[in-house]
Amino acid sequence: MKLRTLGLMAGIALGALGMAVPAMAQTVIKVWSIDGANAPGVGDTLSKEFNDANTDIQIDYRIIQFDDIVNEALRAFATGNAPDIISLDNPDFALFSSRGAFLDITDRVAASSVIKTDNYFEGPLNSVMWDGKLYGVPKYTDTIALFYNKDLFEKAGIAEPPKTWGELVDTAAKLTDPSTNTYGITFSARAGEEGTFQFLPWIQMAGGGYENVNVPGAVEALDYWKAMVDSKSASQDVLSLGQWDSTGTFNSGNAAMAVSGPWELDRMVEDAKFDWGVALLPTQTEGGPRSSALGGFNYGIFANSKNPDEAFKVLEFFISQDERLFPDFSSLPARNDIALPETGIALKDAALKVFQEQLQYAQPRGPHPEWQKISKAIYDAMQAALTGQMSAKDALDQAQATIQGIVG
Amino acid sequence: MNRPFVPWLLLALALALAAIYLFPLYWMYVTSLKTGSEIFANPPSFWPAAPDPSIYPNTWVRRTMGTFLWNSVVIASGVTAITVILGTGCAYVLARYRSAWIDIGLFAILMLQVLPASVMITPLFVGFNQIGLLNWPRTAVVLAAAAKSMPFFVVLVRATFMSVPRELEEAALVDGNSRVGAFFSIVLPLARNGILVCAILTFMSSFGEYIYSKSIIQDTALQPASVGLSGFLGPNSTDWNSIMAYSAIYVTPILAVFVLLQRRIVSGLTSGALK
Amino acid sequence: MSRILNSMRDGVGFDLILVGAAMVFLVALAGLPLVYNVVMSFQQVDMFTLGSLVRPFAGFTNYVAVVQQPEFWLVTKNTLIFVFASMAGQFIIGFALALFFAQNFPGAATIRGLFLVSWVMPGLVVGGIWSFILAGDYGVLNAILKGLGLTQATIFWKSDPNFSLWSVVIANIWLGLAFNMLLLSVGLAAIPRDLYEAAELDGANAFQRFWTITLPMMRPTIGAVLSLGLIGTLQQFDLFPALTEGGPANTSNVAGYWAWQMSFQLYDFAKGATISVMMFVLVLFASVVYVRSTRHEVRG
Repeated sequence: MKLRTLGLMAGIALGALGMAVPAMAQTVIKVWSIDGANAPGVGDTLSKEFNDANTDIQIDYRIIQFDDIVNEALRAFATGNAPDIISLDNPDFALFSSRGAFLDITDRVAASSVIKTDNYFEGPLNSVMWDGKLYGVPKYTDTIALFYNKDLFEKAGIAEPPKTWGELVDTAAKLTDPSTNTYGITFSARAGEEGTFQFLPWIQMAGGGYENVNVPGAVEALDYWKAMVDSKSASQDVLSLGQWDSTGTFNSGNAAMAVSGPWELDRMVEDAKFDWGVALLPTQTEGGPRSSALGGFNYGIFANSKNPDEAFKVLEFFISQDERLFPDFSSLPARNDIALPETGIALKDAALKVFQEQLQYAQPRGPHPEWQKISKAIYDAMQAALTGQMSAKDALDQAQATIQGIVG
Repeated sequence: MNRPFVPWLLLALALALAAIYLFPLYWMYVTSLKTGSEIFANPPSFWPAAPDPSIYPNTWVRRTMGTFLWNSVVIASGVTAITVILGTGCAYVLARYRSAWIDIGLFAILMLQVLPASVMITPLFVGFNQIGLLNWPRTAVVLAAAAKSMPFFVVLVRATFMSVPRELEEAALVDGNSRVGAFFSIVLPLARNGILVCAILTFMSSFGEYIYSKSIIQDTALQPASVGLSGFLGPNSTDWNSIMAYSAIYVTPILAVFVLLQRRIVSGLTSGALK
Repeated sequence: MSRILNSMRDGVGFDLILVGAAMVFLVALAGLPLVYNVVMSFQQVDMFTLGSLVRPFAGFTNYVAVVQQPEFWLVTKNTLIFVFASMAGQFIIGFALALFFAQNFPGAATIRGLFLVSWVMPGLVVGGIWSFILAGDYGVLNAILKGLGLTQATIFWKSDPNFSLWSVVIANIWLGLAFNMLLLSVGLAAIPRDLYEAAELDGANAFQRFWTITLPMMRPTIGAVLSLGLIGTLQQFDLFPALTEGGPANTSNVAGYWAWQMSFQLYDFAKGATISVMMFVLVLFASVVYVRSTRHEVRG
């Protein structure tokens, strides 16, 4: 206790030193996000603009790496050092909201003229809700679809991108050409969230879900994936490549199709020396139910923020700039009231239309406070089956048993 | 053994082995000079098609590597200072006696290090927060990392002290020196080389300190180069060539120093062989 | 009072201060975190109680839960393979190189210096480089193996369950080689030359000289190298996220990385602490067995 007092006094002394400069009382709002590490992003740019335009509230912005942000937040929260606002990947959100670590902003949003829940897509909005209450606001969203190399399709005499799982496997096999180091397809089945992100939609298309992963269609889907890896239509390295590196092989012409999302578009426009297009993810049967993964980030205000009113003002400012998300940062707003302007790049505009359609079928992961454990059960099963250690059925049955223990 | 070509044969073999061993390093430099898509080309090219050395100054500036490297130097210096000050005395005593207690002491020092830094960080973070040390993040990292490098230093320096003949210290005591006096005027100077070398090794390995810095130092301006590097090793790592360029800039200076000093390092350590 | 002062200046007190200062430091910064982990392994931990020691007692439920994880035995097996293979590889290759460079030929000392670079390479950088070298399709190791005609098929070092653990072992051997070679070189250099000359006069061949002089004289060095090597290997972390992330399907997961995954990817801090404590107990047990077995040996 004594030590704590000492530390506190030291902190006050330091704080006093810092306060000595500006005479006016100023509220500092701490904001954490992953934006701005490699290129200017939403969080860093908007924070800077906010600071330039305001004097009474100032944002103290901190970039944290994607892999660390949840850990850092947990540790900071436990020791009373949490920021005021944080932006998290949507499946991580429930870890905090379910435990009341985020501020319940239901009433504030209801009274707000900037943030209106009606404007949001259902999936993203669900990921910030817990128990009927609103704990955050979606920041932006994304999803995955099928990229395909039109030149290679033409060369192989294939007119259209595959529509069903069976067609996908056949098409991939036809496009595979070891003599030119070309695989038919690439995706990411790595041991991490990205693996679940890519595989869960297939379970959902088959009528399953994260709490119900061993439906017959999911087993079929996993067998299809395994068939593509076994027949070398897909590189075995899909098991360790992330989506970005995996799509890199598509851009260099070493894969004829790739499963990935709109974050690839700018690089693809630049790097890909061929004609390409995007198609919706193939379904189990022709015209069958569609699904896709729901990516994207959410904002939340920590419950122990000392200045919740000011923090909410900052949040309103961020949301008020949503129109710029796409033109300035190439991110898709999670809202139905913002039309995306044409970019003038034909390939990109065509691709965006497909992604926006795909987005309508996107389903959130969770929300569940122990999502990461559910996710590990899913990607472990996927990997065990793809490497032939277990049959698809056994692997998914085991995952189901694990998940059952988590969701109860 | 007096056939004249044997040494040259050995030299050729040594060069071949060195080439194999250094290949990863070569690959780092080559990759840094390739373009984005050339890196993922299959089969890989052993020499970049259009090497572009301007990536080095660009990376240096864009990643503010000057600041990062300076912080690495500060942290490594602090770690080395604490390790040397606390570790030298400890090693001296552990070398001076032979008893079960000494064995237990050495054993305990080693055992305290079995847990990886990744599981030590949460308790350390909580502890540092309690005593308010998080406001001086670099100091906190120095303390934590010094505890990690201590056993290595103690084991090596203890060996150096063992090679200092006991008789010299005893003679100094007979001459009327106090223990303190004998330690500083006789034993330390004799072990100086070994201590110096171990200090250099400690410095170099703490130059790469990563896990503690990553969690404890929040302010980018105070982070070391390892954290700066991880900052763009994220899931959407775009430019592998500049990551490799960063790595190259990061390690080349210490590699150069190391290679230049290696003869002294080995001879400094041999003056007190490991016992 | 003056007796105590005197002892500090001129007696056992001086020794106690020197050892004590280091020990207090180590206990505070390594011992307390260890205790914290032990305590945490018997408790229920969540984000609200992460910062305090007062938490609901959980008995052995964390331990039971860890053992019941489907990957538990796989991870245990991998950990043993990883530790033994890494240490054996580092030690044997390191010893061979140390012996080789102890020969007298032009440039021996300088070229030996080149072999020390992996010492100063941060694990993060090494992981990144090896990740490129070991990649399946665009990896240079496969290109070399194919070029030499050693293999026809593409080996997916990081993605094939038969190789994934070994890809981390290879990178780790490379990383630890410098440390082993340097320390063993130092030990070799300390062996008096005249011992070898005497043995040669007695007609001992190279192998006999190695067996009867080098090895016995090196025993303390070897002990130190192996114990430090064990700790270094158990602490190895940076290579895993860079190379395989413990995959595919945990085939390259080891205890240290698994503990990190539990705590920092699945946010189950209690289980993470439990795994690390189990790891600690295992090493403690193995060390005690080792120390007891050497007790009967005669001290030189």
